Amino acid sequence: MEEKPFKALAKNDSVKLSSKSDIRNLWTKATLSQPKLHGLTNVYEDSDQEDSSSRNKPGQWYRRKTDPGRASGKWDDRNKGSIPQGELNGPTLEQSPNSFQRNHVEGVQDSGELDSSVSSLNIMKHTHHRAYWEEQQDRLPLPLMDLMENEALEILTKALQGYRAAIGKDHILTNQLQRKIEAIQKRSRRQLVPE
Amino acid sequence: MKLKTGSFLWCLYLDKLYCLLSLRNMRALVEYFSLLDPHRHNTMNDMMFYHFLHHVTNWNRKQIMKVFHMLDWEAAGEITFDQFYVLVCLLLAHENHLEEQFIFRHSRHVFDLLDLDGEMKIGAESFRKYDFLFNIKKHELREFYRNFDITGDCQKHLNYKEFKLFTIFTMDKYQEKQKVEKKEEQKALLEKKVKGKAKEKLLNLNYSLSQVLKQMDHI
Repeated sequence: MEEKPFKALAKNDSVKLSSKSDIRNLWTKATLSQPKLHGLTNVYEDSDQEDSSSRNKPGQWYRRKTDPGRASGKWDDRNKGSIPQGELNGPTLEQSPNSFQRNHVEGVQDSGELDSSVSSLNIMKHTHHRAYWEEQQDRLPLPLMDLMENEALEILTKALQGYRAAIGKDHILTNQLQRKIEAIQKRSRRQLVPE
Repeated sequence: MKLKTGSFLWCLYLDKLYCLLSLRNMRALVEYFSLLDPHRHNTMNDMMFYHFLHHVTNWNRKQIMKVFHMLDWEAAGEITFDQFYVLVCLLLAHENHLEEQFIFRHSRHVFDLLDLDGEMKIGAESFRKYDFLFNIKKHELREFYRNFDITGDCQKHLNYKEFKLFTIFTMDKYQEKQKVEKKEEQKALLEKKVKGKAKEKLLNLNYSLSQVLKQMDHI
């Protein structure tokens, strides 16, 4: 019942999609057509009321980052090369940014619903631009992440030496820092060796 | 102060008008901050702060610790993301020579940071202590204290209103300076163009003269 407007919109947009080959144009179009999608957002908001447990609260993106478990899980996903279903289906031109974020947070649970609703959209068209979409939607550009990690690793390594000299190598804080460095190193190694 | 070339902060773009980062840039900064937070307290302690600034800037230990104490005015021994964000904006403003703009836009924050004793007044000492951070020159300071201590309550202390006036004054100066620089650039460009045209004219004259001489020879 809730999917009807979404489907209709997807069909309309799929016609537009075929006419424009440049993905950047699509993005601009999607952004420009946000006010038109207001109804759609409302539908999603209604559906959220039914499933209040998985509702995305305002400002969750920040808290989500601070949640260590969540952050590491996110990284694992990326390293395994298994991009969450919501993002793969994600061109989500028909969706508002809110609905995308909600999707991302809810992860796999919503992916089934999306599969059925976006089936009319030819997803294969966008597979070449997957990296671009990832960058545009929810994640930071991969080279920037690499840069950040390498720099953080250098800083943390120097800090570790300082910790060892100041509070000793067996101190709980030193151990935490050591573990953090090892985790970052592992991640970067995994990225270097694709599965 | 110089930011290390190729560092992460180098990739961030500071809005020149508002001296703030975009939301996207801020998200990247949140991620960076969380990487530098091994204890998961959502804070950065003095050790980490020192190594971070030592890595990305050319400040010495003394300067770095001064900045840390300025930001950690509650003496908690660590700074939160909010303070880290202010610091990054300040570093980027410094790097892009937008200190005046930054002080003008964020006068309240800067005032609070410089008000080390919490007396709602800034002394000349505070300015001198952090001149490397805000790039406030000595002669400007002297002029500032002479002209803007309107209330005259304390000779070497300024309240927020006086400080705000100072920011407006420095901003005006900065804009005038920019205008002069622009005019000079335009003048230089015009001169270049005029010189180029004069050269062309001379060449044409030479050519026509040589042709006339040739014709004379024939005759």
